[in-house]
Amino acid sequence: MRGFLPLTQFLPLKLARRELRGGARGFRILIACLMLGVGTIASVQSLSRDVLGGIDSQGRTLLGGDLAVRMMYHGVDADQLKALDGYGAVSASADLRGMARTEDAGKSTLVEVKAVDDAYPMVGKVQLAPPADGLTLAQVFAQKGDLWGVAVDQAVLDRLGVHVGDRVKLGTLDFEIRAVIAKEPDKIGTGGFTLGPRFLIARASLPATGLEQPGSMIYYDYRILLNPGQSVPAAKAELSRRYGAAGWHVRDSRDAAPEIRNFITRLATFLTLVGLTALLVGGVGVGNAVKAYLDGRIAVIATMKCLGASGRTIAWTYLIQVMALSAVGIALGILVGAVTPWALRDVIASHLPVDVQIGFHPLGLALAALYGALIALGFSLWPIGRARSVPAGTLFRELTQPAGGRPDRVMMIATGATLAALVVLVLVTSRETIFAAGFAGGAIVAFGVLGLAARGLTALARRAGRIDSLRRRPTLRLALANLTRPGAATVSVILSLGLGLTILVAIAQVESDFRGEIQAVMPAEAPAFFFLDIQHADRDGFRKAIGEIAGVTSVETVPSLRGRIVAVHGVPAEKAIVDQRYAWVLGGDRGITYSTAMPPRSHLIAGEWWPADYHGAPEVSIAKEVMLALGLKIGDELTFNIVGRDMTAKVANVREIDWGGMGINFSLVFAPGFLEGAPQTEIATAYAPRAVEPAIERVVNKDFPDITMIGVRDALATVDGLIGQIGIAVRLTAGIALVAGTLVLAGAIAAGERRRIYDAVVLKVLGATRGTVTRAFLIEHGLLGLMAAAVAIALGSLAAWAIVVPVMDLHWRFSIIAAFGVAVIAAVITLAFGMVGTWRALGRRAAPLLRNE
Amino acid sequence: MPSPMLDLTDVRLELRSAAGMVNILKGISLQVEAGERVGLVGPSGSGKSSLMMLMGGLERQTGGQVRVAGYDLSTLDEDGLARFRRDNVGIVFQNFHLVPTMTALENVALPAEFAGRDDAFELAAEGLKAVGLGHRLEHYPGQLSGGEQQRCALARALVVGPKLVLADEPTGNLDTETGQQVIALLFDLARRQGTTLILITHDNALAERCDRIVRLADGRIVEDRTTAALAAAQ
Repeated sequence: MRGFLPLTQFLPLKLARRELRGGARGFRILIACLMLGVGTIASVQSLSRDVLGGIDSQGRTLLGGDLAVRMMYHGVDADQLKALDGYGAVSASADLRGMARTEDAGKSTLVEVKAVDDAYPMVGKVQLAPPADGLTLAQVFAQKGDLWGVAVDQAVLDRLGVHVGDRVKLGTLDFEIRAVIAKEPDKIGTGGFTLGPRFLIARASLPATGLEQPGSMIYYDYRILLNPGQSVPAAKAELSRRYGAAGWHVRDSRDAAPEIRNFITRLATFLTLVGLTALLVGGVGVGNAVKAYLDGRIAVIATMKCLGASGRTIAWTYLIQVMALSAVGIALGILVGAVTPWALRDVIASHLPVDVQIGFHPLGLALAALYGALIALGFSLWPIGRARSVPAGTLFRELTQPAGGRPDRVMMIATGATLAALVVLVLVTSRETIFAAGFAGGAIVAFGVLGLAARGLTALARRAGRIDSLRRRPTLRLALANLTRPGAATVSVILSLGLGLTILVAIAQVESDFRGEIQAVMPAEAPAFFFLDIQHADRDGFRKAIGEIAGVTSVETVPSLRGRIVAVHGVPAEKAIVDQRYAWVLGGDRGITYSTAMPPRSHLIAGEWWPADYHGAPEVSIAKEVMLALGLKIGDELTFNIVGRDMTAKVANVREIDWGGMGINFSLVFAPGFLEGAPQTEIATAYAPRAVEPAIERVVNKDFPDITMIGVRDALATVDGLIGQIGIAVRLTAGIALVAGTLVLAGAIAAGERRRIYDAVVLKVLGATRGTVTRAFLIEHGLLGLMAAAVAIALGSLAAWAIVVPVMDLHWRFSIIAAFGVAVIAAVITLAFGMVGTWRALGRRAAPLLRNE
Repeated sequence: MPSPMLDLTDVRLELRSAAGMVNILKGISLQVEAGERVGLVGPSGSGKSSLMMLMGGLERQTGGQVRVAGYDLSTLDEDGLARFRRDNVGIVFQNFHLVPTMTALENVALPAEFAGRDDAFELAAEGLKAVGLGHRLEHYPGQLSGGEQQRCALARALVVGPKLVLADEPTGNLDTETGQQVIALLFDLARRQGTTLILITHDNALAERCDRIVRLADGRIVEDRTTAALAAAQ
């Protein structure tokens, strides 16, 4: 096999250097496209590694120790506490939700209560806001008479309309607000999503609140600072082995904040893929720039072929030039990526509850550079391959047509191999392989579909240009002809601009449908309140009190316990997972109840419901997701750990649950007769119009201070706000892809400048006014924008439907606002660039051009 | 008896165009001996350029045989033809076709560099001196006059001492005086190197300076005579 390198090894390098003396003017867009895409990926890589590095290096602080043991419903006994003391220093705390109320019970707010002992925090420091910043926690909590102190998040003051020094009630106990928390060192190590602001009290004050009752949903945490010389993994393994069956959940400082870590990792993956999308779009710009450059070098290429240059020499000469200039773009992108964390340092610090250590991450930057290099190579090999096939005889025929058709087989294979390598790199470097594979497949499909749609629209425009009534309008005829002439960049502009617009349309439509569901559909069917921690003794009084309020349409109460599946037919549950997509059913304790009747908004898909007077062996009804996770069938035996005790039950039936109604429902429902004696509380819902909600709040605050009350509409408003923020963030990143598409458009307009100037000159010579010429160019660019928008609206709506209906199981509605908005964006972009190009063309004098002709 | 430098036997060329297949050359048979200077004349569209392209391996014949410097060009692939041109053929264009980003020296050195010659630049310098451009080695084409550019192109065509030089209207873009200077150089250098010269021209006087005139019309040779014979006939 003949070697791929030409015979004269370094000659292409010499030729490339000589060719580059002509300047890199035609490559500005190529450099900008690569800088944007590589810069995005490099920034994401740097930022995410800084954040994850911060989490890793502060594991002990975030966890509050080397190890953390968590139990639910009750704490450790004296022997167990003594055993924990043997490992090192121990700090105990209790986490629960509660309602903080003003003294007159006029206002209340859900809070996340944390009751800590004197040893807290063992690592790090709770920072208090001035003027309390000089106080210790002991001073803040100190009991003065009957009055304990509390430190709260600022949000508590805002929601209750109180200040430092005021009193608030938690349960049946009064607290004096003595400090505002500025920073809580182990906040994210405690858990994931929280609904309320922090309410930090002394552990000793919790019993007096009346909230610590049997069956109350309280997490008891024991943080351990190991004695010197002890190994964290060994200690964790020993604790898990000794007490795992007791329902202990042990974490260590190596994975202090798994929820945040997973979130950051997923976010980084998503944003990297968005950056890659921008880079892919930029690749179109790279291809266009290389093609335009090579079209201008046809005479030189043909000359060198006449002089004896082989195809390989030609290919290497121009490949070296392209990759050298691509390296400039990549280097600039790397620089952006390295500097971004520094530039966003303050923003990150204000939004993340972890100290971020800004650093230099060569691996992340190298990855971004490699992506950029593969894109540059993959999108330039095709035009280089075509140029290498330019016949030497071109010079004799004085052909001016650019190189067309396909390159030879070697180049096509090389192009395919490069893009395949890119896909492999995406899959190998992403921690979310399935998501990345979906992205890669989706990108290929999107490019293919966009390309086909663009070609289809161009063909349509070509046909429209032949319609008699349109042909009689010279400005429209010229515009259509310019869009459809051979070599026009119409397809590549629609493809690249269209991709960014498609993402925007899809995001806007999905968000519109999701928020529409939250704002309109869900509240109509959802209860006004959820109530937690209702003691069994209070249940009937609670139902009567709330049910008697005018306007309340119904009150439902259901017993509630917490537990988890530990085994399937004796096999540990983690080993029994058959579908990882539903592995979340084993993550932590789940809500469990028991009932004679099948819960509403459920229907059976397998098995039978037990009769109301069932008295047989323990049976359980499971949700479809549990069945799919563990591959269960009717009659299978499951072992549960409920309130620290193991019990076994057989699967009696499987239900499909409609969670959208937001009523009470459980994925695990036991038959009556087995759990009635276990420690438990009740949870309840109340259905009432919005106007009645204040009355319900007053009754609960006054007569049931121990009950936690969650306003559904407020919770939905919080979620809606979060979605809005996420939507902004996602739009910003999609905007990067749009910027890349705009660069491609700018490149296409720059490449067509010569032709546009020629058109303008000839038209003016023939008597066209400047207005006529301007109109023709603007119609051309306006049509281009509308074509890109049409493709984006169609494909974006389709993508949104595919996400909303089969994945999110919501109603899909076409959003005219989203469609119109995108069309406006597209038209503005193309017209703006078109105006710039037109202005330049009209500004040229005719004589010099005509003289040269 | 040595074989001819150019041996074309019943050469036909058909090309596809928007209007369908077009017969460009319709059975050309031509032999040119080494060192001959042949003027190729005829009206536009007669097939002169196509015939020259066949001779230089820049086009492939549809039928017949093309042998140049002992090579049967139909047996060579694209890279083989490039090597053939590199070692055996120099081409001079009407529009010069110098590479604008390379100096005169680098332009002239190109064929020698493609041939892998270590002394490419030395050869190029000598070639430029031979055409009177020894003082313009580092100038770019944009800094040379039309005549200087064509002399540079001439030096490039002859730098590796090719057996065959193809010149397509080499004075077409030059004024009369400059054109005559360039032609004089071309003829002189070709004579000195014993190079066979094929010259396309519309200038009858220039054609008469060649040893032989081949006239094409409608893809066929309609006249093939030595110029001495024409003078004798007159």
